Amino acid sequence: MFFHIVLERNMQLHPRYFGRNLRDNLVAKLMKDVEGTCSGRHGFVVAVTGIENVGKGLIRDGTGFVTFPVKYQCVVFRPFKGEILEAVVTMVNKMGFFAEAGPVQIFVSNHLIPDDMEFQSGDMPNYTTSDGSVKIQKDSEVRLKIIGTRVDATEIFCIGTIKDDFLGVINDPVAI
Amino acid sequence: MSGEEEENAAELKIGDEFLKAKCLMNCEVSLILDHKYEQLQQSSDDPMNQVSQVFEKSLQYVKRFSRYKNPDAARQVREILARYQLAEFELCVLGNLCPETVEEAIAMVPSIKVDIFFFSFV
Repeated sequence: MFFHIVLERNMQLHPRYFGRNLRDNLVAKLMKDVEGTCSGRHGFVVAVTGIENVGKGLIRDGTGFVTFPVKYQCVVFRPFKGEILEAVVTMVNKMGFFAEAGPVQIFVSNHLIPDDMEFQSGDMPNYTTSDGSVKIQKDSEVRLKIIGTRVDATEIFCIGTIKDDFLGVINDPVAI
Repeated sequence: MSGEEEENAAELKIGDEFLKAKCLMNCEVSLILDHKYEQLQQSSDDPMNQVSQVFEKSLQYVKRFSRYKNPDAARQVREILARYQLAEFELCVLGNLCPETVEEAIAMVPSIKVDIFFFSFV
């Protein structure tokens, strides 16, 4: 789920950036440092939307670097266990399928795919019901429930299921 | 760490920080990211080089799964859903998934079961 939250970070700036453009340099460095990163607590930082506050800089002992505490607003993506969301299938194999929801990858094991769907190998490996009415293959859109998350150093990985009610392949949504 | 083990969106156990935070529906994120991308286009020749993979993937995702292409529609949806005593998280899940029946809505957002009293009068 996407959230708009305020985060804080201590930014260290080299003296070469001091001067008229100090704040611009600070903001540019912040965006470069923080956008695209991931933490277990806040999830993926997708984009910084604004700077709320830049505190007074503190000169570090022994070096000329200055540390500024910066409060900024950003859009984050944080998947939660128990959350239901829509994702795009990226790979299908006999163990299950991988799907992507934004920056996060979700694996759905074949044990958590309804029993009436069977794996079909071939050029376009897929899971299909016995009557062929429902098919899950690469680029299919599915609605799944996250049942577990694992946090790595740089990303969050999820396990999902489509075995519950109202989960599975999505038919084309009507755009309003 | 123990907080994360109890985490369960179905019971709205997502931590105080996120319960009180502003939650965004896919269409709203799409507007924000589009705006940011335009800003980047104005300030440099090659915006694609400047954005992270996370940004790109998120932008593709919200564009594909935006239910409401029109920003006014998105605003109206939020306005309507805000009339019920829903948490931000519940509101956004409903806005994103658009359940067609009450059963589906309860399956998508089990934590609203306590609010079924309100829904039955709609």
